[in-house]
Amino acid sequence: MTNSLLEVRDLRTDFLLKSGRLRVVDGVSLTVEPGQALAIVGESGSGKSITMRSVMRVLPKTARIAGGSVRLDGRELTELPERQMRQVRGRQIGMVFQNAMEALNPTLTLERQLTEHLSWHGICGKAEARRRAIETLGDVGIPEPEKRIRTYPFQLSGGMRQRAMIAMAMVARPSLLIADEPTTAVDVTVQRQILDLLAEFKARGTGIVMITHDLGVARYFCDDAVVMYAGRIVERAPVRELLARPSHPYSTGLFRSTIEVGGRDRALAPIPGAPPDLAQRPPGCAFHPRCERAESVCRENEQMLLPLTVNGVSRGTSGRPGAVREAACWKVAAHG
Amino acid sequence: MSFASYMAKRIVRMVLSLVAVSMITFTLLQMAPGNFADIQRISAGAAQFGGAGTEDMVHAFASRYGDDIPAWRQYLIFMKGAATWDFGPSYKYPTRDVQDIIAQGFPISATIALIAVAISLVIAIPIGMFAALRQNSPADHGTMFVITLGTALPNYLTGVILVVIFTLTFGILPSSGWSGPEHMVMPILALVLGPTAVLARYVRSSMLETLREEYVVAALAKGGRQSVVITRHALRNSLIPIVTVLGPLLASLMTGTVFVEALFRIPGLGLFFAQAAASRDMPLLMGTALFFALILMTMNLIVDLVYGYLDPRIRAAGGVSRWRSQKRLSRQAA
Repeated sequence: MTNSLLEVRDLRTDFLLKSGRLRVVDGVSLTVEPGQALAIVGESGSGKSITMRSVMRVLPKTARIAGGSVRLDGRELTELPERQMRQVRGRQIGMVFQNAMEALNPTLTLERQLTEHLSWHGICGKAEARRRAIETLGDVGIPEPEKRIRTYPFQLSGGMRQRAMIAMAMVARPSLLIADEPTTAVDVTVQRQILDLLAEFKARGTGIVMITHDLGVARYFCDDAVVMYAGRIVERAPVRELLARPSHPYSTGLFRSTIEVGGRDRALAPIPGAPPDLAQRPPGCAFHPRCERAESVCRENEQMLLPLTVNGVSRGTSGRPGAVREAACWKVAAHG
Repeated sequence: MSFASYMAKRIVRMVLSLVAVSMITFTLLQMAPGNFADIQRISAGAAQFGGAGTEDMVHAFASRYGDDIPAWRQYLIFMKGAATWDFGPSYKYPTRDVQDIIAQGFPISATIALIAVAISLVIAIPIGMFAALRQNSPADHGTMFVITLGTALPNYLTGVILVVIFTLTFGILPSSGWSGPEHMVMPILALVLGPTAVLARYVRSSMLETLREEYVVAALAKGGRQSVVITRHALRNSLIPIVTVLGPLLASLMTGTVFVEALFRIPGLGLFFAQAAASRDMPLLMGTALFFALILMTMNLIVDLVYGYLDPRIRAAGGVSRWRSQKRLSRQAA
């Protein structure tokens, strides 16, 4: 069997608090192939960012990976010595953040920020690094890159800054790009451009993990999606299937609470309540207090993530090979 | 805005401030009880008043200001001289002009101050970084506890302790005078402790704030070694707030540290300033006060220029205050 680009199995990450360990990522598994994009969808606090930061092992001081496996091109990352892990970051995995204004250092020129990791990783010399940085700035659609490379982040417009940050992530040509809400902080007009830009890198073979709470963004260019709630995956499906026929009540709720252009006929229905405090995780299915379909079984026991089947035939994968459709819900399983 | 017009504006503002400082100082001096002659008479004893020393003094009075002229004219005469850096003779040291006293005392005070602050910085930056990187650990709490003790210990007390150790016990350093490097050691040591404590606290809190910035995470995500990310990305940005404290700190030390100079009998500016205030020596007090104000404002100007060097956003906005107001506006807009 050939290796996937990224293969995460049963990943668990804890926050070490004074009161004890708090599991914020609980048994997450996901796969990304080259040239494919996976959306991780969920509300803030659902553990989607921490999942991907665990993959890169760039975690807050108080967070620890408690178990599971992360394989990049077949190589296990969770046990890699820090020294070798540094070579993975920035070189094999690039990361794009929500707000370029914050993710770019305000006091350093673009040149310095785009080239420094090329020399950290010993990829090339200074002159070559500069050449590559200019080339990448051009790739992301920044006009006059030879001139712009000398500027500071604050001298760029919001959209250009976002592009520059993507260039910083892509300059070392990583095979996997993690994009953490890359369109949340920019204008709607810029959003589309940023997504198109990411789609270009995808078309060239980069695997992308898109962390988002916006289903529209997920639909625009992701192939598969996982929905996270309270640190766990509650549904996994090809994006189109997920949007057409969400099966987990939480996914349905997310979909119904999203404002969409052209969706005027559809009434907006926000999910009642708030995501649970992980320190006081509800027993049974974590979503049951907010779920309109909850029954006694949901309050007592938790359902595993199970494939959706109709009469033993897996359902809703559009027939694409490798596509999986799973949900963790008693009600769905009962209907399947 | 061009740099030249920026500087011109700053200098005009400095001159106006100096005029205000002179007026306030002069008014306060007029309102203070007693005058120079009274105080001399009391401290020297009535019998000596009118002796040889005071003859000089009366002469200096008369030659420069005339007898019994109104206060506002005294002020104008003084300021006319001050405009050309001529403050006239001191009352107490009638044979010396105030500007000569400043020219002699300031280099001494400034040397001590510069060395003390430089040493403080060199110690404070690593200490602050050390504590910040181990936030809330015993090492952090321990360091900050010692630092707090440092702030609590006044420099004259540290000075006394140093004298007890190095002069009285070991006899290796002279306790007073100003004629060689051996005279500089103890005053500088006495002065280092306080600023070190203050600066280390600032470095720590500033560093903690910077470490939370997303660009630090972004640099780590690019594969940066922690030490490299800290020195290249975090340190420079966390030094910007330090520069703010550094300016006034340096200014206050440069213009003389009364206690330490008195303790070690150093002929610095602080000593003269204190004497001038105590004896109502108008020219000396006005001269030193104006000089202090000038130094403080110059330091603030340098701070702002260094700001611009450290942070290109400030450079582009044309000064710290403009940058701050722009930031405020954009925050309101958002």
